[in-house]
Amino acid sequence: MPERCAVIGVGQTHHTAKRIDVSQAGLLREAALRALEDAGCQWSDIDAVVIGKAPDMFEGVMMPELFLAEALGCVGKPMFRVHTAGSVGGTTAIVASQLVKSGVHGRVLTVAYEKQSESNAMWALSIKIPFRQAIVAGAGGYFAPLIRGYMQRSKAPEDVGIRVALKDRQNALKNPYAHLKFPDIDFDQVANSPMLWDPIRYLETCPSSDGACALVIADEKHAAKAPKQPAWIQATAMRSEPTQFAGRDTVNPQASRDAADELWKKAEITNPREEIDCCEIYVPFSWFEPMWMESLRFAEEGSGWKMTYEGATALDGDLPVNMSGGVLSSNPIGASGMLRFAEAANQVRGEAGEHQVPGAKRALGHAYGGGSQFFSMWVVAQDPL
Amino acid sequence: MADELLSAPHVLEYDYRRSLGEVLSRFFTGLRDRKILGVKTNAGRVLVPPSEYDPESGDATSDDWVEVGPGGVVKSWAWVNEPLGRHLLDHPFAFALIQLDGADTALTHAVDAGSEASMRTGMRVTARFADDTIGAIGDIVAFVPEEGS
Repeated sequence: MPERCAVIGVGQTHHTAKRIDVSQAGLLREAALRALEDAGCQWSDIDAVVIGKAPDMFEGVMMPELFLAEALGCVGKPMFRVHTAGSVGGTTAIVASQLVKSGVHGRVLTVAYEKQSESNAMWALSIKIPFRQAIVAGAGGYFAPLIRGYMQRSKAPEDVGIRVALKDRQNALKNPYAHLKFPDIDFDQVANSPMLWDPIRYLETCPSSDGACALVIADEKHAAKAPKQPAWIQATAMRSEPTQFAGRDTVNPQASRDAADELWKKAEITNPREEIDCCEIYVPFSWFEPMWMESLRFAEEGSGWKMTYEGATALDGDLPVNMSGGVLSSNPIGASGMLRFAEAANQVRGEAGEHQVPGAKRALGHAYGGGSQFFSMWVVAQDPL
Repeated sequence: MADELLSAPHVLEYDYRRSLGEVLSRFFTGLRDRKILGVKTNAGRVLVPPSEYDPESGDATSDDWVEVGPGGVVKSWAWVNEPLGRHLLDHPFAFALIQLDGADTALTHAVDAGSEASMRTGMRVTARFADDTIGAIGDIVAFVPEEGS
């Protein structure tokens, strides 16, 4: 019989462009200490540590976990490193939850981070490999044609992406940890911002951030003693597929749909739109909101954009999406997936502050990574299943 | 079967940045001033080189700093008979673990001892600083046998 498990502590840094005041170890230590404090735990209470970050090439430190053991209080304890590109923060939380669910450990600390100021992810994603044509366009150049594909399939109005970006940027104003904040943001500012990778405008794009996120995940025995409402992990799902393969549906990948189907089945959810109260999903470029709404079965294929258009995904809509301001507002890549999982947990714990969805009882945390090829998601709730 | 098996060079280069944070910034600015600094753990152990976090307790190290050395004792060593271009010295030397006076841990550095025959575990050495210091480990050119030891 698997153990029930819950998030009992959440911590994150104030995400920003450059944290030159701290080392990489110092950065993730901040998030870890905040998660421990939130969980009412000491270092000695933690049985194992699971860390995640995006490709080592982003900071140029091969296997950074080698020098992070003392910063994460895991000398003499098991330490695990997870890697699934941009979705890694979500996958890392899932691996940590499985160590508890399996009964192997009682309390696990999981931490994800990126210090983008120490490198240039655009470069790291644009290397020239022998025998192959280099795209040299970074993430935006890779995803722009996928968005065009979605626009053609769905016949969505041209301004859907602008509306998503405006909503997320307004939500970010309520989140003290968000990196990008534009106090007077309006539709025209987004619409008139420079076109970076047609159809993606500058203000429809995520920033490069330094930041970290940490969670303490506990079994039922320890969750019962937690000082705050636990976020019970009702279901997790993870799926992978190739980066480049002719015939793969890159707009609505099979792996995404399969992961969602498994997730809803495990969580005993038959109508996600009705049974989920709010979502934090991985939207690094604005148009991915309607794309994932469809792929996650919240909307019929071709109609996800209507949710944005009708205000359903706004903070006061019937299915708020990215209440924290999302990846569009803070993007420490390795941590970005865990931040989605953490924000979902904080919503059901009633700990989301100004961007709290009133009465949120069950929430989705979602991340994707690589060339739309890794999908990680979980459902957290006020009560265990 | 392929007629020919292909391979090609793949050179990958990029300029990264490193942020040292409070603890190591203090150590390296100390070296720039020709001082070797150690940081105390909460249990009172003096770590040289300093660490941001105490591996034994997981706690942050304290804000209590002490100057150590410049003399110390060789705890272990390995002789390098044919230095390569990027080594600290261009003539034969020893890599050594050196426990500086006042420190509880050992620092890895070079000992410029002239010959392998003059090296021994337990020998006393002292730091030789560069004429121009910049705030990096190379501000100590090498350790040399202490006179009269």
